[in-house]
Parts: sequence; structure tokens; C-alpha cells
Amino acid sequence: MEQHTAVAEHGAQVKVTFTTTEEDIQLPEGKRQLLVPADIRRYGLSRILNSESMLDTASIPFDFLVNGSFLHTSLEDYLKANGLSIESSITLQYVRSLTPPIYEASFEHDDWVSAVDVLSATSAAGRWSGDSFQRGQDRILSASYDGLLRIWSTSGHVIATSPSGSHGGHTASIKAAKFLSSTQIASAGMDRTVRVWKYSEHSSAAGDHVSGDLKPTLELYGHAGSIDSLEVDGQSKRMLTASADGAVGFWSTSKTTAPEPNATLLPGAHTSKRRKVSSSVTTALRGPLAMMNIHSAPASAAVFDPRDRTVAYSVSQDHTMRTIDLTTSVVVSTLTTSHPLLSLCALARSSSAPLLAAGTSARHVTLVDPRSSATTTSVMTLRGHTNKVVGLAPSPDNEYSLVSASHDATCRLWDLRSVRPATKDEGLGSVSEPVYVIDRESRQGSKKKATAAGDGCKVFGVAWDKLGIFSAGEDKKIQINRGKDVAV
Amino acid sequence: MGPKSVDKKRKTQVPESESDDELAGRLFDSVLSQSEDDSDFVASDDDEDDDQDDSASKGSQDDEDDEEDDDDALLSDDIPSDLDGEEALGKLLITDDEPEIEVPGVDPKRKDVGDEEKNYRIEKDANGGERYVYDEIEPGYDTDDTDAQGPANTIGDISLDFYDSYPHIGYDINGKRIMRPASGDALQNLLDSIEVPKGWTGLTDINTGNPLNLTDEELELVRRVQMGLIPNELHDPYPNTVEYFTSIEEKMRKTPLQALSSAPEPKRRFLPSKNEATQVMKLVRAIREGRILPYKPPEEGEREAEEEDEVHFDLWQNEEPQDANPMQIPAPKLPPPGYDMSYNPPEEYLPTKEEREEWEKLDPEEREKDYLPQKYGALRKVPAWSEMVKERFERCMDLYLAPRIRKNRLNIDPNSLLPKLPSPSELKPFPTVCQTIFRGHEGRVRSVSVDPSGTALATGGDDGAVRVWELLTGRQVWSVKLSSDEAVNTVRWRPSKDSFILAAAAGEDIFLMVPSHATVTPSLDQASRDILAAGFGYATHGQQQPVAVGKEPAAKWARPGTKLEDEGVLIRVTVRSTVKVIHWHKRGDHFATVSPSGQRSSVAIHTLSKHMTQIPFRKLSGLAQTAAFHPLRPLFFVATQRTIRCYDLQKLELVKAVQPGAKWISSFDIHPSGDNLIVGSYDKRLLWHDLDLSNRPYKTMRFHSEAIRMVRFHRGGLPLFADASDDGTLQIFHGKVPNDQLENPTIVPVKMLKGHKVVNKLGVLDIDWHPREPWCVSAGADGTARLWM
Repeated sequence: MEQHTAVAEHGAQVKVTFTTTEEDIQLPEGKRQLLVPADIRRYGLSRILNSESMLDTASIPFDFLVNGSFLHTSLEDYLKANGLSIESSITLQYVRSLTPPIYEASFEHDDWVSAVDVLSATSAAGRWSGDSFQRGQDRILSASYDGLLRIWSTSGHVIATSPSGSHGGHTASIKAAKFLSSTQIASAGMDRTVRVWKYSEHSSAAGDHVSGDLKPTLELYGHAGSIDSLEVDGQSKRMLTASADGAVGFWSTSKTTAPEPNATLLPGAHTSKRRKVSSSVTTALRGPLAMMNIHSAPASAAVFDPRDRTVAYSVSQDHTMRTIDLTTSVVVSTLTTSHPLLSLCALARSSSAPLLAAGTSARHVTLVDPRSSATTTSVMTLRGHTNKVVGLAPSPDNEYSLVSASHDATCRLWDLRSVRPATKDEGLGSVSEPVYVIDRESRQGSKKKATAAGDGCKVFGVAWDKLGIFSAGEDKKIQINRGKDVAV
Repeated sequence: MGPKSVDKKRKTQVPESESDDELAGRLFDSVLSQSEDDSDFVASDDDEDDDQDDSASKGSQDDEDDEEDDDDALLSDDIPSDLDGEEALGKLLITDDEPEIEVPGVDPKRKDVGDEEKNYRIEKDANGGERYVYDEIEPGYDTDDTDAQGPANTIGDISLDFYDSYPHIGYDINGKRIMRPASGDALQNLLDSIEVPKGWTGLTDINTGNPLNLTDEELELVRRVQMGLIPNELHDPYPNTVEYFTSIEEKMRKTPLQALSSAPEPKRRFLPSKNEATQVMKLVRAIREGRILPYKPPEEGEREAEEEDEVHFDLWQNEEPQDANPMQIPAPKLPPPGYDMSYNPPEEYLPTKEEREEWEKLDPEEREKDYLPQKYGALRKVPAWSEMVKERFERCMDLYLAPRIRKNRLNIDPNSLLPKLPSPSELKPFPTVCQTIFRGHEGRVRSVSVDPSGTALATGGDDGAVRVWELLTGRQVWSVKLSSDEAVNTVRWRPSKDSFILAAAAGEDIFLMVPSHATVTPSLDQASRDILAAGFGYATHGQQQPVAVGKEPAAKWARPGTKLEDEGVLIRVTVRSTVKVIHWHKRGDHFATVSPSGQRSSVAIHTLSKHMTQIPFRKLSGLAQTAAFHPLRPLFFVATQRTIRCYDLQKLELVKAVQPGAKWISSFDIHPSGDNLIVGSYDKRLLWHDLDLSNRPYKTMRFHSEAIRMVRFHRGGLPLFADASDDGTLQIFHGKVPNDQLENPTIVPVKMLKGHKVVNKLGVLDIDWHPREPWCVSAGADGTARLWM
């Protein structure tokens, strides 16, 4: 009886049941139910879980999902907001918390930065290069609208810059660039070419100063429009491009396997009176393995299936997402959505076919199950952006988080575990909201109010590696936010 | 069953009562006589048997009882019917108005005094005749109301010997047993009989089982009877004579029964009278036919008569009297004269000297009153009213000139007049927010155009430059400066995907260019150049129309010079005056230009493949504002300031002239299906025309606060159109043209897009739609172009 009054003085208590889907932090059966003070918040719950009597872990920050949404208020407020009585028992699913991606650095460019890629031990290119990748040789590749590729060290030094248009480089803005391996880079841009570069590094005698060299090895012609996206697979040495002419190109990165190009697409194919861009360096000209004119509007992105490299997915402004069998270059299935699609990334799922996230011009990201057997094609909608979503990158650590880049001058982090049903306005399906919003650091200083148009600060591309979240934007900067432990 | 059992009981009882004949007989009589007139009450009071009888069989049945057995006569209800020697009582009762006894339900107390205090009152009925309304019957002490009785045996009409073996003799109203009073043995009875209590009768009250004793009143009654007195001491045996036949007779004769009847009111009194109904109907008919007129106070009647006598004239027609018009408004009445108009006004109304002077000083027009109060000693001294003619004249002028308007007030809920429109959220998709801003132009952006593939945007501005942008990112990919002093008034892509040709107008020059930036493939670039160059060959290889000597050619086609040619500008067409509008024919071989200041040659049609310019109209009525080709048929629309004329290009004749009713048309656009037209005007109006329906607008919308500069339909199959206004906003409309010709188009304003700043009273100057998506691009006077999606 006395105890009871003591409790009453202290405040109400709520019965909670802790669950988790993560095997390594399972609670023993008996400890899963607990009475906690009603005014406890996320931090308190996290401490309880970390305490000796519970998990006895050092200090893993936890987040708590109640009914699919993260707990942001105290338990009491949550119960009140949802019209539940204080006596009701709550099931809390605890997950390792996402820590906010803290701003780390910005790399200045001369012009808008359209794309960024990372070479590190954990990135795809690092894995593909295998032993040749030296530890500590983390590199950042940026593609700029001035037609130059730049390779940065993690400390912010430009190690190498690609030659200009007159010296064998891109003759127009580069829209996409990727590391193929630690020594090979692919890029594509508005000059309709895909270029493969050889990248070599040599340390200067001084020691820590490293300089590099980018040499064009291949010039690939095939597209009749600006190439907006490039996807590479270093293992099979294949590339996928999507172009504004509605075609998806499938390319080889080696000179020997690539076929001869279509002569009409080469520069100087017609003796026109326009300015000639004569190049002093001659590189091998090749064509695509397959050029698939499958979209009726500009194709905006194409990706490989993470598990099966003979399958590709492409999205386009004609509202469709197509599954392509690369061995036969045939469209296997077509999914039609209600908005033009501008970006795509495949979220690998260990259990089944990947989940495809497609950014739309209608300011959201749709998650699509590409399997034709799937009953509902649109799995989830990620809402929160205020402008076109033009870049997507999956988390390097897990299969349920991703980052999106949008013209509204933000990158947003999403956790697919946090789901709520869509409201009437949003239509059917379930909806998720961003966990974190990464603003452009260049905007922070100025007091200018952020507009939906993202004037001057649009984000064009994003890459997510353990090194961090790299975003490239109209503010001529690559912005790096801490990516490690963002989602452990 | 009832009567039988009654008989049985009586038979058992009667002998008993006869045993003490002497007393009992008298007793009964006296008891009966107590209530003078009504045997019912007494009988029931006295004898349970009679009570039963009464309740079981009232009225007429009693008569039968009487006939059946005579020995029961005394007990029967109908005492007066047998005058078998019960002397005084009988007589007494007869002297009172015996026949009425039969009528139940009437307060019997009143009966004997019926003449003095009537138990009814007389009211007027619907016919105006007399109607008797009887008083409510009040149950009182001496009524025949049996409910007022004390505890009574409720066993009903059964013989009491059923209870012989029980300790009780029945049940009272509450269901309690009525116990049989202890009956002593014979000796006790004897003792009792010796020691007779007051009022002892030796009888047993059948209801209670107690010995039936008489009360003091009853004993007094008995005494009076024995003394030969009138039993009722209140009874006046010698009342004042009432002259019956002279005083009551009249009434009696009219309603001989009613007057004395205590019968309940007959049913007919509660039913609506048929007779009255016919009477009423007569009146109704008379009113309908106007034979009876509703009452009017005499003054009103007079006034109406006056009104009828009035003669109406239509002042504006002729001097003949007209029929009274319901819209006739009588002339306002003159105010009645006041005290100051009196010939002998009170002193305070008379003006002082100063006031008089002041009045005289004032101009007659400005005087508050046009007379001064004056005092005359006598009426005969009052002179003639000198202002008479003037006053009458002014009154006539007032009546003649003063407008008299009858205001009709409409009592309609304004919301009910609004048409039912679908909500904008159901009409998605449409552009809602600005997503890309194209910055780069110095000064106003005058024109925007999205290329047929939907990836490139061309803009032209005050800085004389034409710029091409990547639509989604807002990256400028190409630009050329056409003129250093003239603004680029309009840019338009050639509407075909097999070429990449842009037409732009700066000043009097129209430039055709291939903005071949990096994404344009060499083949496309070459194809475009070939299309442009084809005409040069045509021009040089003859076939060109011989230009009349001394006549200036309509336009001059030339190469713009190497500097521009290097940039991709390949042809310059110079016309006679500043070109404001370019409109391509859908096939891309012709384009029309309009130069509003160009007088005769304001509208020109250019043929690209022949490098030829024609001026289709020798004379235009009004200043040409804009022109357009019909999207499907060989028709050509030219808008002047107030009219849009549609010409058939094959027959070379005027097909239709549309009058939107706008004061100054700024732009118009033809729906891709070809039957509808939207018109924007500088007087802020947006008008929708159905070309098949009428020459007048189907719908007029005034939503902008400033002039509308440009209107545009979506050409990619979405039911959208937009207008751009100088108030810095764009308005997006859902405009669905149904396939069914009978249905009207649905026009719903769905979104107002704000963002452009107003600079020098100019807001948004041009708009264009994306060829497929619900995206639109606007050109603003603030130096930006914006993509809305």
C-alpha cells in the first residue's frame, strides 16, 4: 500500500513491452515487460535498455518505434495524443538510433557540382578493386558542370583534375561520374559521351603530398541526348546510362569488348559551320553493347539489380519504371506510376528482390517492388521534399535507410521502418517521413529564407558511404556530413 | 344470468325483511324518501341487493324487473311506477317532476329548484339560435354516484350463502376480507333486543354484516313520516305560485324536453353541423364570386375609389390617358402646410427684421424656404398668393425630372447561385509550386518557350539575348545576343521533333536559329540546318514571285552574318515593323508574325521552305494584336483589339468573327481540339469561347487585378490552361472540353501561382506549357523565368 502511494506521488507508470527485430540486441524473455514512468522520453528509455539489468551494453543509442512511428515525445504525451489510457500497455520496438548527420566539410568547386562518388574500403568501387586498393587511399570524385572531373582526398585537396574539352576531356557539363575501381573512373555528361578514365596516383618526394593523373582511355558514343545518369559495375566491367533521348545504354568499360560506335553520332560526323571542338588527344572511340530506346520521354536513371547483374531497372520522365534483361536487351516488365520519375536506387534486400526507390518530380520518393508477382507495386511513399527528388543513395550499413537529394536544397534521410498509413490527401499506401534533413551549409550563413525552388542551392547528387554523406549541389560545393553511425 | 341471481337473493332477503314488516316497511320508505327523487341512491345505500341491481341493470331493465315480480316492487328502482299504497312517498315523489327520474347523469339536487337556478346556461349557437349548455355534474353527498360509497362488499352479484362456511362475507375494494361480525347466540340476540340501542332496527347490514342501525337523520325522517309531516324538512309545501303557462311555457314549448332534461348532450352536438357547413359554403361562394366584400374602413374605401378615378399618363409617350401600369409610382406628396404657412402664425414663427433682411439678401435659389411667414389680422386681408404660377411650375418640373425608381430586392442566397464545381484536389495534376528559377537575363524576360521534346527551355528578354536552358536544373546551356538595342519580344520553337529550330524576334528582325549545344546530336543539328538552308536554294533557283517594281517586298530573308552564324543563328527575316508575336503552324513550314504597329502589313505569313513572306490581308479593320493557326483545320485566326476573326486559308474568306467583349485583347489561344478559344485582355478579363456555340463568350472570368498578358492551353492532353497577368501571378485553370458536344466545358480555377515580382507595373509576360507534363514556365518582368510543377 505504501509503495502504491509512493508511485502515485512519483507519477503514473506505463507498462511497456520491448521488442526488436535485431538479433544481437534481443532482451531475455523475462525482461521484456517493464513498468516505466509515464513522463519518460526516448533518452530515458534508451538508458534503461543500456543498463546492466537489461542489455548490459555500453551505450547504444536507441530509438523507439510505437505503431510504426518514432517516439518523439514522452510516453505520456504519446498516449494522450493517441487517446489511449495510461493503463494501456505499449509495445516499443527498439532500434539502433540514427544519429544526426553532422556537417563536416565542404569542397569548393568552380561551377555547379552535378555528381559525387566515393572510393573507400567499404564503397562498391573499393570492393571491386580488391587488393589493389590501399588502405587510407580514400578518394572522392566529383563531376562538375564546367566539364571537369576532380578527385579529392578526404582532407579536401584536389589530387587530380580531368583534362578540359580541348585536351580529351568532356566538351560539356558532366552529369554523372563513378569510380569503377581505384584506378578507373567513368563519367558521362551533356556531351552525350561516356568516358572511361585511367586514374593513377603517385606520391611526390615530399611525402604526404599526393598527386594524381586522369587519362582518358575510352570515349563511348551512342546516346542522342544528354546522359543524366551513370551506373557502373566494376566486377563485370559494365555500365548503364540513361539519357534524355529516352534510351538506356549498356556499355563495356574495356576497349576490346566494346563495339565500334555509330559514325553519325561522332563529333565532326557532319561538316557543319559550328565551332569545332578539336581535341589534341585521341582516345579510342567505341559504341554501346546495347542501346535500348525504351522510354518515350527522357530516361532519368538506370541501375543494376544488386544481386543479379544481368537485370537492370530504368526510370523515365514518361512515368514508367522498366525492368530490363541485359543479356537480351529486352524489357521484361513495365510499371507505370503517376508522376515523372527522376532518380532511382536499388535497396538490396537479403531476403528477396531489391526494393526500388524512385524519386519523382512530384516531390516524393516512391518505393516500388519490381517483382511482377508483387501484389502491390508501390510499397511506400517517402514524403517531405519540397522539390524534385533527383538523387538517391542507399545506406552502406543496412537495407532500410536511404538518403535522397532534391532541388529543394536538402538531403533527407529516411528510415523505412518508420511508417504511417497515408492520409486521404496522399492517396493509398503507407507514408514515411524523413528522419533527418541535411541542409546546405552554404545556405546556413545567409539569412535568405529557403524557398521551394531551392534557388542557388539545389542538390544534384548524393553518395553515402561510411566516410559520410556526400552531396553535390548548385552552390558549387560538395558537402560532407558525417555518415558513420548515422544508421548503425 | 344477472337478473336470475338477483331474484334468488331477493327471495332469501325478502322474507327476512318482512319479518319485521312494520318497521322495515316504513324504514325503507323513509330511507327511500330521503333523497326525495331518486330511488337509486337510496336503494343502494340501503341494500346491497339493490346496489347490485343498479350496477348490473340500469334503466329500462328495472322496468322488466318490476313486471316480473311484484313483491319486489318496493325494492325496485322505479318506485313511482307503482303506486301500490306506499302513501306519502309516492305522492311526494309524484308531486315532484317524476318523469325526469329516468334521465340519468343529471344532478338530481338541482331538479327541484330547476326553475330558480338553472343547471344550464344559454349560449348562442352557430345559427344564432339558443343552445343549452349544461353544467358539469358534481358528485356530492346526495347524488346517485355510487363511487362515493364507503367500504362495500365487492363479491359482486352472488348469493351471500356462498360465504356461509367462511369467516368472512366478502372482500372490500382493497381485496381485504370483510369479516363476518361475531354473531351471538340467541340469548345474546335477545339481550340485545331488550337493550335496544338508538336507531336499532334488528336488521343486519348486508354489506358489512353489522347490525343495521339508523342514524339520527334517518330517525328524524322516520319521525317526520310518522307524524305525517313532509319528510324533507327543507321542502316548502307552499311555494309562491309560479304562473306556469305564462312564464315557462314559451321555453318549455320550444324545447319541451331539453328544458327539463338531464340527459347527456346528444352526439349531434359534438359533430360538425351539416347545416352549418352548407351555410358556410354559401358564404364562401358568395365571397369568391365577389358578392360579399371584405370589410374596409370607410377612409380606405374612399382612397381606393380615388385611385380608381386617377387618370394615368405616360409622360414620355403622348397626352392620352393610359391604363394603370402596375409599375406606376404615384407622385410624391407635398408636405402638409405648417404653422408658418398660416395667415396668422404664432409670434415665434414670424421672422425678425434681421432674418427678413437676410432672406431677402439671399439668392432665390439658395433660400431655404421660398416664402416668409406673414401675419394678417383677418383672413379677408390675405392677398392672392403671388408665387402660385411659379410654384405650380416647379412642382411640375420636379415631377417631370425627378427619376422614380422602383427597387426590387432579390431575396436569393448568393451561394446558391454559384455553380457546383469539383474541388481542385480532384483535378490534379496541375502545377502548384515554383521548382526552378532561371536567372540570367538582364532586364525583363519577355518570352518563354519549351521545346517539343520537353528538355530545353528558350527565353528571350530585354537584354536582346536568347538563352536556352536545361529545363529541370535551370542550367543555361546556350545563349546568343541578337541585338544590342532591341529586346527579344518573342521566342518560339519550331513544333517538330525532327529539328531543333528556334524562332526569335527582336525589333523588326525575325531570327531562325539552331541552338546546338552539346546535347544536340550532329545529325539533328545537321537536319535542322538543312531545313533552314533549303529556302536559300529555292530563292536563288527561280520560282520566286516576281516583285513588282517599286514595291517594297514584304520581308527580306538573309543570312545574319558570320558572327551570329557561328553561334547557330542562321537566318534573319526583316519585316517592316516590330514583330511582337510569332506563331508556328503545326507542321513547322509556316509561321505567322504579327507587328501591331505595322498597319497594312501587320500580319505576315512566312514559308520557311521557300523563304517567302506573304501579307494575307490587304486591309485589317483595327490593329492586329496576335494571330494563330487553327491546330487542326486550315483556318487562321487574327485578333484585333476587340474582335477575333477566323479566315479560311483555302477559300480565302472570313469564316467567323468572335466578339469577346473585351476592350483590348492581349492574347488568345485555341484549344488543341479546335473548338474552344480562350482570350486574355488588357482589361483584366479572361474569356472562354465555344466557337460552335456563339460569338459571345461562354464564360468570362475576372480574377486578376491587372491586365492579362498571355493565355495558353496545355497541348499534351491535360485539361489545363493558364493565364499570366501584370499583377505578378499566374492562374491555372482546369478546362475540360467534353467529347460530347452537348455538354458544356468545365472550367475550374485551380491554382494561383505567385512568385514573380511586379516591376514597373509589369508582372508575368509570357507562359508556356511543357509538352507532356503539367508543368508550366513563366517569363517575368523581374528578370527570371520560372518552372512551376
